[in-house]
Amino acid sequence: MTSINLEPGVNRPITDNTDDQPGVRQPLVLNMDRFNQVTQQVCQVAEARRTPMAWYVCFAAALGLMGLLGFCVLYLIVTGVGVWGLNNPVMWAYDITNFVFWVGIGHAGTLISAILFLFRQKWRTGINRFAEAMTIFAVICAGLFPGIHVGRVWVVYWLFPLPNQMEMWPQFRSPLLWDVFAVGTYFTVSLLFWFTGLVPDLATIRDRAKGKIQQVVYGAFALGWRGSNRHWHRYERAYLLLAALSTPLVLSVHSVVSFDFATSQLPGWHTTIFPPYFVAGAVFSGFAMVVTLAVPAREIFGLKNLITLRHLDNMNKVILVTGCMVGYAYAMEFFIAWYSGAIYEKFAFLNRAFGQYWWAYFLMVSCNVITPQLFWFKALRTSIPMMFILSLFVNVGMWFERFVIIVSSLANDFLPSSWDVFTPTWVDIGTFFGSFGLFMVLFLLFCRFVPMVAIAEVKAVMPQADPHFGEDQHDEAHESPAAEVRS
Amino acid sequence: MIHAPATISLDARNIELGATGQLARRVCFVVAFVCLLAAILLPVTGVMKWPLFWRCWLQNWIFVLQIPLGALFFVFIQHLTKAGWSTVIRRPAEVLASNLNWLWIGFIPIAVLVLTGSAGKLLPWSDMAMLFEEAPAEAHLVEGKLAYLNVPFFMIRAVCYFAIWAFLGTWFLRASIRQGRDGGLASTRAMQKMAPPAAILFGLSITFAAFDWIMSLSPGWFSTMFGVYFFCGTATCGFSTIIIVCLLLQRNGYLVNLISREHYQDMGKFLFAFGMIFWAYIGFSQYMLIWYANIPEETGWFLARQLGDWGWLSIWLLFGHFCIPFVFLISKHPKRDWKTLMLAAGWMLFFGWLDVYWLVMPTIPHDLASFATYDAAAEAYASEKAGLLRPVNWLLMVGMLSLFAAVTIGRLRSHPLLCRKDPWLNNSLHFENY
Repeated sequence: MTSINLEPGVNRPITDNTDDQPGVRQPLVLNMDRFNQVTQQVCQVAEARRTPMAWYVCFAAALGLMGLLGFCVLYLIVTGVGVWGLNNPVMWAYDITNFVFWVGIGHAGTLISAILFLFRQKWRTGINRFAEAMTIFAVICAGLFPGIHVGRVWVVYWLFPLPNQMEMWPQFRSPLLWDVFAVGTYFTVSLLFWFTGLVPDLATIRDRAKGKIQQVVYGAFALGWRGSNRHWHRYERAYLLLAALSTPLVLSVHSVVSFDFATSQLPGWHTTIFPPYFVAGAVFSGFAMVVTLAVPAREIFGLKNLITLRHLDNMNKVILVTGCMVGYAYAMEFFIAWYSGAIYEKFAFLNRAFGQYWWAYFLMVSCNVITPQLFWFKALRTSIPMMFILSLFVNVGMWFERFVIIVSSLANDFLPSSWDVFTPTWVDIGTFFGSFGLFMVLFLLFCRFVPMVAIAEVKAVMPQADPHFGEDQHDEAHESPAAEVRS
Repeated sequence: MIHAPATISLDARNIELGATGQLARRVCFVVAFVCLLAAILLPVTGVMKWPLFWRCWLQNWIFVLQIPLGALFFVFIQHLTKAGWSTVIRRPAEVLASNLNWLWIGFIPIAVLVLTGSAGKLLPWSDMAMLFEEAPAEAHLVEGKLAYLNVPFFMIRAVCYFAIWAFLGTWFLRASIRQGRDGGLASTRAMQKMAPPAAILFGLSITFAAFDWIMSLSPGWFSTMFGVYFFCGTATCGFSTIIIVCLLLQRNGYLVNLISREHYQDMGKFLFAFGMIFWAYIGFSQYMLIWYANIPEETGWFLARQLGDWGWLSIWLLFGHFCIPFVFLISKHPKRDWKTLMLAAGWMLFFGWLDVYWLVMPTIPHDLASFATYDAAAEAYASEKAGLLRPVNWLLMVGMLSLFAAVTIGRLRSHPLLCRKDPWLNNSLHFENY
């Protein structure tokens, strides 16, 4: 059926597997015909004594940014939330924008690991580990912001409904509390899912480890995995159940985040399309971030045979689809704002486009609606530099989307006498960029010490994993429908 | 992977209806004729009023229209994703979708009503004088929307929707048949190329159709989610019907060993995901946000669906469209057994109908648009009947569905039931869930 070139040590390595001949599935692992080659290629990153120079450079930069974050947060805690540019009426600005932005980034992981798993998209195996790790780190960054926004950070545990002698409880009718549950559940399940998938691979590294420390540490995290039949059986079951549990979470987390806004009566916030629109936007930004990170990572760590051009092509298609959905939601909001006949709604949207934040709106629309349209062209979808640049645009656009929604609606609400302008302070900006430092530090540590690609899962989608591998030529004659039609 | 049994047969006896189905088709035509005639006689003889009849007509017509729309979605999404598993069930879906080229006929009476200015009871914006008389406050609000809600533009839009749907519905069937004749890849490639524009046209057209034909029945009300909600309805009805058609064909000795439990399990998953979960998600989000914000312009639409009988019907819809089938279909076993799957698909089709009933039939009492007056209104409308047992509902539903079935059987007879030279066929025949 297929014509995959699997000869070992082929003269010309295959780099392009994006061809789409109907009826033919392209290989997802290139230039490898033995399972051991996959193990070798993934593990060598974690096992190498020296990491590529680029890693050190990035890590130093990330540490610097994380230091900036630490300083800004410390300054905030010591001084008070007044060091941010918040005012009355703009009481949410960078902090909540960053929160929503990072939670959104965290959506690609579960979508790839759960939804694409249920849709039997085998290409997910090349990038799921990576995207799930990104999810966890992004949610950590997201969780930081509401935490430091509460003002009295030392009582941040009041966010949780903990029994206390004051009989004081959070407001259960508030979407902000639902957020605590939604994001908390999301983080827990994502972490469990990620770790469950990691166990066999950690055992692989443990078995290959030369040093005592590596053996003990990887051994501890591998939870005594021996790869027995029973282990695999339980593992597959757990994986399926976690995938099923994660699936509603893909929808729920960002839906609940959207409720923070949409349950209010504020024009521009209160609109019924918010839940699916936020989910689409989150997947959009999450995939953009995966592309942003995957492009350099596969280059630096030599993973081009596992994270192939086809993987990137598919991700860019997801970006195109979700970008169109986001565009649809923008259009619906605008149309219904007019159709509703509510003067405040009309004003809110005109104000977004032509008011004091027109530039942010312009950035949002051009980055989120226009940029992804370029991915209609296969040449652009498969061009590495182009997709890297476009994914950055999407990241920028999605940050501005949240900024536009949050700030423009707050700054110009019902009463013109209370209107104001939000101007970020250096602490706002420092905290935002600093959060990238935290994210990158975690991500780079992950790249260095944890198998970046799901070794066992990738092996399972190689044609060699099929028990009938090698019988293809023999089978083809009587399997071909064309042959049967003739008979 | 276990290889499919060797009894796979692609010969004509298995994949072409030929002369069979003639009787079923005739019966359907007769039933359709009798039911539709009986339905029309009700207002003609004065048993019921014309405005109510046309509202029922609109409701049932939209319900039947949802079936091919859902099937069209199914077809282009397979090409969009280059799916391999679904080839063996694509032809029935294509044939169902091709019905979009004649279903516009059902819209003619509505169009005539609108054009002659006598649709004021149905689409209040089309008769502003009447609206100003009955509900000046609402009329004032609607006045601002007349740039969109006006007769010429309404008609132009309707023509656009029908043109798009008829084109897409027949185009995919024709391209697929061409592919079945020549076996080449060119037609498959063309269908893959057409799928993305089809998705965009489909999304926009059903959104605005939902605004025009359902949302504008209560012209004061609005919801940005409404197009997505309507999409859920098309998916529910479309997927249920594809399952039913495939099962009926197999029970009658066609496509034997070609469609397997594996395919039914996946179709069941589709129905489960879009018809139940996504519907519930969208419905819940829409209701919860409007309930929570509690803005009078928006709550009125839901309040009308909570008065008297309608409250019970809403709860029935919640349980029948989501809770009960969710529990029933969550396991893989009912999806793999033809009896239970048939039951689930039939059930969902009925609740797809009830969903449209719930959308179209209630008329908002104009004094309701406020929670301040809700208690008084609830008392006043406590005896409000949902009228589900009205004969005209059932006559129109059975009549229109039978007509739809008759045409569909005819088209199934004139084409092979299988895309037998599809490049993914082998993939689909050997498909297994894991």
